[in-house]
Amino acid sequence: MTVALDVKAAPAADWAELARRARLRRRATTALLYGVLALGSLPILVPYLWLFTVSVSGRTGASTTVLWRTLAILMPALLAWSILRVSIVEPRRLLWTQLALAAVTLGALAVVTGPYLHAQNWRFLWNSNIADTLKGASGVGGAFPSVWTAFGNSLILALTQMTLVVIVSTLAGYYLSRFDFPGRAATLKGLLLLHAFPAMTLIIPIFLLMYWIGLLDTLTGVVLVIAALELPFAIFVMKGFFDAVPWDIEMSAMTDGASRRQAFYMVVLPQVKAGMLAVAVFAFLRGWEEYVFVRTLLFQKTNWTMSLYLFWMYEDVMGTDYAMVSAIGVFYVLPSIVLYVMCQKYLTQMSFGGIKG
Amino acid sequence: MARIELKGVAKRWGDVTAVEPTDLAIEDGEFVAILGPSGCGKSTTLFMLAGIYVPSDGQILFDGAEVNDVEARDRNVGIVFQSYALYPHMSVLDNIKFPLRFKKVGADEAERRARSAAQLVQVSELLDRRPTQLSGGQQQRVALARALVKEPKLLLLDEPLSNLDASLRLTMRSEIRGLQRKLGVTTILVTHDQVEATTMADRVICMSKGRIEQVGTAEDLYHRPGSLFVASFIGSPPINLLEGSASGRALRVGQAELALAGECGGAVVLGVRPEQITLGSGPLRGRVVDTEAHGRETFYHLDTPLGPLRALEAGAKARFAMGDALTFGLGHGLLFDPDTTRRIDGCVLESAVQ
Repeated sequence: MTVALDVKAAPAADWAELARRARLRRRATTALLYGVLALGSLPILVPYLWLFTVSVSGRTGASTTVLWRTLAILMPALLAWSILRVSIVEPRRLLWTQLALAAVTLGALAVVTGPYLHAQNWRFLWNSNIADTLKGASGVGGAFPSVWTAFGNSLILALTQMTLVVIVSTLAGYYLSRFDFPGRAATLKGLLLLHAFPAMTLIIPIFLLMYWIGLLDTLTGVVLVIAALELPFAIFVMKGFFDAVPWDIEMSAMTDGASRRQAFYMVVLPQVKAGMLAVAVFAFLRGWEEYVFVRTLLFQKTNWTMSLYLFWMYEDVMGTDYAMVSAIGVFYVLPSIVLYVMCQKYLTQMSFGGIKG
Repeated sequence: MARIELKGVAKRWGDVTAVEPTDLAIEDGEFVAILGPSGCGKSTTLFMLAGIYVPSDGQILFDGAEVNDVEARDRNVGIVFQSYALYPHMSVLDNIKFPLRFKKVGADEAERRARSAAQLVQVSELLDRRPTQLSGGQQQRVALARALVKEPKLLLLDEPLSNLDASLRLTMRSEIRGLQRKLGVTTILVTHDQVEATTMADRVICMSKGRIEQVGTAEDLYHRPGSLFVASFIGSPPINLLEGSASGRALRVGQAELALAGECGGAVVLGVRPEQITLGSGPLRGRVVDTEAHGRETFYHLDTPLGPLRALEAGAKARFAMGDALTFGLGHGLLFDPDTTRRIDGCVLESAVQ
């Protein structure tokens, strides 16, 4: 008995039709994907857009005219862009249509919102005594420090804390990865536990501790506190990165004439650069955005960080000027965003280091 | 170049003994291989020589001077690791130059030496590349150049060929051998591959469970294995090992009676290499269970009164088919003591004497 397939009896496959359907399906999937992602990112992006538009257009009090007009232009533009991406395949043509779309959008934005834009809300940047220039300033808090003082303090706080965290976590991570010592397993478990521990519950003991040590109302105190809270996680991440570096190259360096320390600096450290960078960025952002501990541990105006400046601008002045608060908000968040975008590539490598016991 | 000596060297990790007290001497300019299955202590021995591990006991001597407490970086030993251990963030040239950074060598001199080492292993065209851009064989060469550039007293090779494909392994084998002859550097190769050990080295040290089983030339190990372990570890297809009992000059194995040259008694293990079985003539009878054609030779599985046997015969064409009855004889047969596992001296199969 033959079981050979009867090829002739089967209807001739219409390849062109099948291909057409596959193409259509692919496009529909892509379009759906773009649509869902665009919708999903709206609630994330609109607050930023609000903050930005109000900061460049609001006049004593937040007017949302510009926001709605901007959205009215951006939304169709986004939609048009999604359609372009899906429907045009040829790269050169796609590039030109995209550029054209961008130009049209920017032009429309300029026409519709242009008359409303002004830099008044940003005057805190050059006017050092901003409280006096505000409408209905009550003088409750007296003179404000310059925003640059707060900016400088935030920068000092974030950078010193970052430096501390990177150095300590790198050395500790290396030691935990390479050396066996009594209590190593307990140390690792302890690190995880510390990371999971809610820091807020420590706020009163930390306050008392700072008071007794005499570091209350100093940036040094806050730096130490935040670094201590940030370290467990950073150490764990660095240990993961060191675990991924093979022993062989270290042993090889030592037989090549390097001391253990030289082998560490010359051979091992370059392999974990990505990890150090990731830890550095996270530590910096943590210090930059810190609010609770600076609010608790710092009192003097000259010690204000950006988060405190923003808080007092909102709190201390009669009739909050939301437009200026927005401008300060934009000014405050900009370094974080720039840093994050620049280091995105390295941050996504965090998972590479992995976590091994 | 140095003469290396181990005196009672042992390594223990807590309760686990990796290397039992070991005595060994390696002559200046000699190429020896340490051969054994994984976990036999061969790499531990190598790392003790390199100075990465400190021996728990005994003395390591370089040219008669004890180096136990001399650090790895001061021993002037070159190592090629199994993984090659090239520094990923450096170019090939910087990799080769790396050992010279710790010596009092001027920049120009370092450059010249690195380039000549690269030339020696034929990687001169690759000097600007990163290790990740090299093939396995190229990485191997760079690792070799890096080990040789410092003109080491001792060159240690830790399974250097195990990550290469078969044909490249063959090339590198003869290249490393040639290089060693040319430079005359004392070299120790650690491997689990018997062919690698026997083809490259002047002398082979066979290790098992942290102990040296036998030291000798490839021929010694193959034809005069000192113990059951060496007999079974060396040779492919493996030796036939048959349990039997001897009394005087008679040896009983299974249902067969064999004559011995020399006297011995009690339980013994008879070892016969597959190619020592002559098929088609001889006093014994058997039947072919299966044949395997290996191109150059044919491999038979036999069912015999002695028990199942493996036999190897030169020639591409099988002379006997599956199921054939045949007569056969045993050539060189060795006897081992099953208790001590050592070979019994002065007592072999009579046929071996003829």
